[in-house]
Amino acid sequence: MEWPGGAVRGGVGTVDAGEVDGPGAGSARRGDGRPPEPSRASGRPPRPVKVLRAGTGATVVLCLATALLHVFLVFLHVAPPNPLSRQYSRQIDAWVLPLFEQNWRLFAPDPESVNRQISARTAHTTPDGRVQVSGWFDLSALDNSAVKHHVFPSHSAQNALRRAWSSYLETHGGDDRPHSQRALMMQHYLTNIAADRITAHRDGTFESVQLRVITTPIAAPVFAPAPAPAGPGSATDAPKSAETRYLPWWKVGSHGN
Amino acid sequence: METEQPLASYRRMPEAADRGAPHRATERGGASVTVLTALTALTERPVALCAAAVLRIGYGLLYLVFLLREFPHRNEIWGPGSPWTPELARQLFDQTGWVSFLTLSDSRPYFEVCYAAALLTSALFMLGWRTRVMSVLFAVVVASFHARAIFMTDGGDNLILLMAVYLVLTACGRRWSLDARRARQRTFTGRAGTKNRTAHPGPGPLRQQLNVSRRTVTAVLHNCGMCVIATQVCFLYGSAGLYKVQGGTWGDGTALHYVLNLDLFRPWPELSLLADEYPVPIALACYLTVLLQVAFPFVLFGRLKYPVLALLLVMHLGIAVFMGLPLFSGAMIVADAVFLPDRFYRHLGQVVRRTGRGLMPTGRRSTADGKPVPVPAQPAPSGR
Repeated sequence: MEWPGGAVRGGVGTVDAGEVDGPGAGSARRGDGRPPEPSRASGRPPRPVKVLRAGTGATVVLCLATALLHVFLVFLHVAPPNPLSRQYSRQIDAWVLPLFEQNWRLFAPDPESVNRQISARTAHTTPDGRVQVSGWFDLSALDNSAVKHHVFPSHSAQNALRRAWSSYLETHGGDDRPHSQRALMMQHYLTNIAADRITAHRDGTFESVQLRVITTPIAAPVFAPAPAPAGPGSATDAPKSAETRYLPWWKVGSHGN
Repeated sequence: METEQPLASYRRMPEAADRGAPHRATERGGASVTVLTALTALTERPVALCAAAVLRIGYGLLYLVFLLREFPHRNEIWGPGSPWTPELARQLFDQTGWVSFLTLSDSRPYFEVCYAAALLTSALFMLGWRTRVMSVLFAVVVASFHARAIFMTDGGDNLILLMAVYLVLTACGRRWSLDARRARQRTFTGRAGTKNRTAHPGPGPLRQQLNVSRRTVTAVLHNCGMCVIATQVCFLYGSAGLYKVQGGTWGDGTALHYVLNLDLFRPWPELSLLADEYPVPIALACYLTVLLQVAFPFVLFGRLKYPVLALLLVMHLGIAVFMGLPLFSGAMIVADAVFLPDRFYRHLGQVVRRTGRGLMPTGRRSTADGKPVPVPAQPAPSGR
C-alpha cells in the first residue's frame, strides 16, 4: 500500500497494512509481502488458497515468457532480414503487426537528398464539350510556407503530401499504372489531397487533376567530393539535376465550387 | 543487500536499491538465494515507479498538446473530410488488421465527440486519475488515431503508440498522480480511525491470498512492462545507429548538410543556412549522432549513461528546433527519461517542492512522493 511517504513497503508486511484502503480500492497498490501468520499456523491452507497461489505462479511465468517472446520478436522485426526472421516471418508478422510495427531508419542509411515540388492542375469540360485546363498550382509551396517560421509545424504540412508521394513511389515505382490494390489506394489518396487543396484555394469546378513532381537534388557541400555510391533511396541515389515527372490525368469525385 | 549483488540490472533499479532488502531469501537459505531474491524483487516490488510516472505524464501531455495543436487540422487528418477518406481507411484496415473507433461512423458530430473524448482521456491519463482504466483508454485512443491517419504519422507518433500500449502494463499512477494523492489522503484518515477498528477481525485466508496475488501480478506486469519499454528504446537507438553506419553520408560527415536543406524540415531557413556553413562541426555532429545511438544500449549499465543521456537530450532539442519536430523530439526525450533512477526523480521532486514552498508559503507540504521521510525537519502540517 502507499504509505504517506509513497514508498511501497516490501518484504514482511504488517498485518494492518492491508486494511487501510480496503478491498476494491482501484488498482492494486499494496506492497506488503504475504498473508499474515494465522492461516499458516492453523495448518495447511484451504484448497481455494492453494489454487489461487498456483494460478498466481502460472500468471507470473506467463508474463515473463510473453515479455521475453515479445522482445525477441520485435528484435527480429527491427533487425535486417536474416535466416531466422525469413524462416519465421509469418509468426513474426502475426505477433508484431499491426500494433507493434516500427521502423527506425530515420534518415538512415542516408537522409533524403532531394526536395520535391509537387504541383497540380485541373481540367474541366464545359457543357459545349471544350476542355479547360488550369495553370499549375504548387501544393508543396503550401506545405513549405506552413512549416516556415513555425515552432510546431502541423503533420498536415510535414507529413501528408510527403508521405503520400513516398508511398505512391513505393507502390508504383516508375510506372504509373497501379498493379495492386494498395497502389490504387495511394493514387486515390494523392488525387484527394490535390483536389482538396485546389478546391480550398481556387474557384471553379473540375473533373480531373494531373500532378507534376519536380525532384531537385540538394547540392553536395562545396567542400565535399562526390559521395560514394550507396543503397537505393539514399542521398547518393539522387539525380544530378532536377527531374520532372508528369503523372496521368486522374478523375476526381465531385470537387469544386 | 548483499544477496542482490549478482544482479547488475536489478541493482540499478532504484526502488529496490534504496530500501532494505527483504530477508525472506536469506531465511530460506541455500544456493537458490540469488534466484529467490530475483524472483522476490520481480514479483513483490514494482521498480522505477517515478520513471513510469514520468512516462505517463510525458506521453499524456505530448498527446494532449499534439491534439490541441492539430485542432485546426483535425478534420483533414482524422476526420471524415480527410483526403485519406474513411472508405480508404477501412479498406486498408481490411488488409492490415488495424481497427479504429474513428471509422465506425462518417458523421462529423461523431468525430467531434471522439476528438473531445481523446482530449479528455489524454488529460486524465496525464493527471493519473483512475490511472489503470485511463491507461487502457489512452492506448485505445492513440491506436485509433494512429491507425486512422497512418500515412500522416512519423517516428514520433510510432513511439508514442508503442509507449501508450506498454504503459497499460505498468503501475504508472503510483507517483505524482491524483490516484496517489487519494491513496495518501485515505491513509491519513485510515490511520486516524485505526483505534476504533482494533477489534475488527482480519480478513479471511482467501481474501488475504487474493490481495497477495493481486499485488504479485501487478508487480510482475509492471516490471515486465518497464523492461519491455527499456528494451524497446534500446532497439530504437541501436537500429537507428546501425542503419546509419551503413550510409555513405554519415560516414563522410555530410548527412546533416542534406538534412539541413530539406524544405519540410527547415522551419528556420536562416538558422539552417547558418549552421550549414560550418562543415567541421556538422561532420562532428554526424559522427557523434551515430556513435551515441550505437553506444546507447551498451552504456546503460554504468555511470556513462548520464553523459550519453545528456548529449541525447541536446541532440533532440536540436532536432526539435532545427527540424521543426518537437513532437518527435519530445517523445524521444520522454523515452530517455525511463533510464533515470528514482533517486534522481525524488531529488528533483524535492527541489520542485522547495521551490514551490518558497513561492507559496501557506501551501500544504504533505505531498511527499519519495522516501518515507522525504523532507528533513518539517513540521507535520496535516493528518497528525
